[in-house]
Amino acid sequence: MTNVRSTGRLCALALSAMVVAGLFASTPASADNAEAFAGSAAARALNLNALGIKVTAGSTDALATSSPEAHAKGAGLALIADSASKADATAAGQNPSTPQACALHIPISGILDVAAACSQSAASTLDANPLAASTATVAAIDVGLVNLVLQLLQPILDALTPVLDQVIGTVTGTLQPLLGGLLDPLLGSLNLDLNSPVSSLVDALKNVTNLATVHVGDTASTVTTDAGKVSAVATAKGGEVDVLPGLAVTGAPLLSIVLGSARATSTFDRSTGQSSSAFDPSLLTLQVLGINVPIGLGAPVTLFAGTVLESTISIGAGRTIQNPDGTVGAVADGVSLQLLKGLNGGIVLELAHAESAVGGAKALITTQSVNPPAEVQAVELARTGAEAPWLEMGLMLILAAFVSRRLGRRWMLKR
Amino acid sequence: MTQNLNVSELLSSKLWLRRTLSALSALLLLSGLALVGYPLASNLWQGRLQDRLGKQLASPQLQQAYRDRKIGTGDSLTRIKIPDIGVDVVVVEGTTPSALRAGAGHYANTSLPCDVGNVAIAGHRTTFGKPFANLDRLKPGATIELDTPVGGCVYQVSKDPLVVSPNDLSVLDASGDRTLTLTTCHPKGSAAQRLVIKATWSKDLKSA
Repeated sequence: MTNVRSTGRLCALALSAMVVAGLFASTPASADNAEAFAGSAAARALNLNALGIKVTAGSTDALATSSPEAHAKGAGLALIADSASKADATAAGQNPSTPQACALHIPISGILDVAAACSQSAASTLDANPLAASTATVAAIDVGLVNLVLQLLQPILDALTPVLDQVIGTVTGTLQPLLGGLLDPLLGSLNLDLNSPVSSLVDALKNVTNLATVHVGDTASTVTTDAGKVSAVATAKGGEVDVLPGLAVTGAPLLSIVLGSARATSTFDRSTGQSSSAFDPSLLTLQVLGINVPIGLGAPVTLFAGTVLESTISIGAGRTIQNPDGTVGAVADGVSLQLLKGLNGGIVLELAHAESAVGGAKALITTQSVNPPAEVQAVELARTGAEAPWLEMGLMLILAAFVSRRLGRRWMLKR
Repeated sequence: MTQNLNVSELLSSKLWLRRTLSALSALLLLSGLALVGYPLASNLWQGRLQDRLGKQLASPQLQQAYRDRKIGTGDSLTRIKIPDIGVDVVVVEGTTPSALRAGAGHYANTSLPCDVGNVAIAGHRTTFGKPFANLDRLKPGATIELDTPVGGCVYQVSKDPLVVSPNDLSVLDASGDRTLTLTTCHPKGSAAQRLVIKATWSKDLKSA
């Protein structure tokens, strides 16, 4: 509970946990209890709350319970109705889904594909395995032209390939004993034959889908269920640039740059009734042919603690939460700024924020009664102070304005 | 020369700096005026909102929604009257920052007004009409009236105001009796703690 109450930013997670706990609270505490579980995931690419004015971009939410119910919703931009999607399965045997909804979509076949504020949602309660999934993106630009470029280069490649293969093959063959540890994973990823590297590279290029893709604000929230576990996963990315996607054998791009990513995972083991959670945040992630190079991971930094100016800055930070009722959760932030918390909620900027929660109770066939876990209601009592000394701060700013104005006037007189 | 450059000389040598300073002055002035005017503006906003909520509270639609237990967050729920400190405001459902712009909000997971159990209401102590500004002045025995769309009741303050930490959710715990809990930030102008008033049911009022 100590962790849960630490910041207002965890309110949303607590709400997720509340949904989970609420499910149990509504479950009769009978002698022979059926299995009960719930998982929720929520991701936000951008969440800005400036003194009560909210802007959310790239939001996805997913919830699945043992009722069985599954709910998924997403929005490219919360303010644009055309970018929203929603799917609800409220009874067993349902499988609704929505096509991708975009506020803007301009596809130019094979050359360029521009989409803005898109989302897609699906829910399913088939086979007693509820599933909810939603994806959203704020903007996506796919630059095609690969086939065109290859066609243009083909005559040149045909002429040069034998020579290049020989030269490059000799060079890499020489270097491999020295740089084998570095080269081998990369060559393996490309499935390059050192005897004919250019030819195999051209073959690899034929698998490339685009020259480059630029995605801003991609988020995904999924809750999946199978016989063994319930998994709630939320992912959010501030921005991602992929160069030559599909080049590697695995389908990974030549180079992938992800700015501000966050992933929160919570899992409920149906056989043991235990829950676990994990987070994976980063400020900047580089991938070369699918090989991860994570950069920047830190703990939250709080400034001016205990004052109205209290501000918390988290870059590549996250945490797991264990609630007293057995529900667990995880929160991950690519970048999170909570500025001037004392000022009516202050300014909250979250770039790539992901959170997930699960909880459950396995089926019991004993005659012993089971008490439902206590409901998690809130993280703190409502803030109703409008804590800032508005008058004093306002007068200070006016005084500062007067001083700066005087400086300007002194300069004018001097001239 | 450069080492002894004072502010005026610096400004004389940098036209762009002077322009920036002018823009900064204007920005600071506007920000200052906005901050000074914010409490007043929020009170005006809350006043207009209360007018609308008062009409909603009297509407047949809300009466039906109340009977069905389907009051949405931000909708009118009850009117609270505390004669000793001059409070007479409509309480909305929910305690989200948005809902609390109405001045006072009902904790969604607590009992409905006048029902059996613990009814909890949060109210602003500064800004947004500051209905609970003087909550600390309530003494045991003071009366608190709740008027819902389907009736009303009166509670009586049972003990002196409590000061608790923001995380002390025990004040919201359910009870077997009909109790009322009021919360607001404490001390005035700070969110460091919460001031809590506990009251017990005294009598029902005639149904509307």
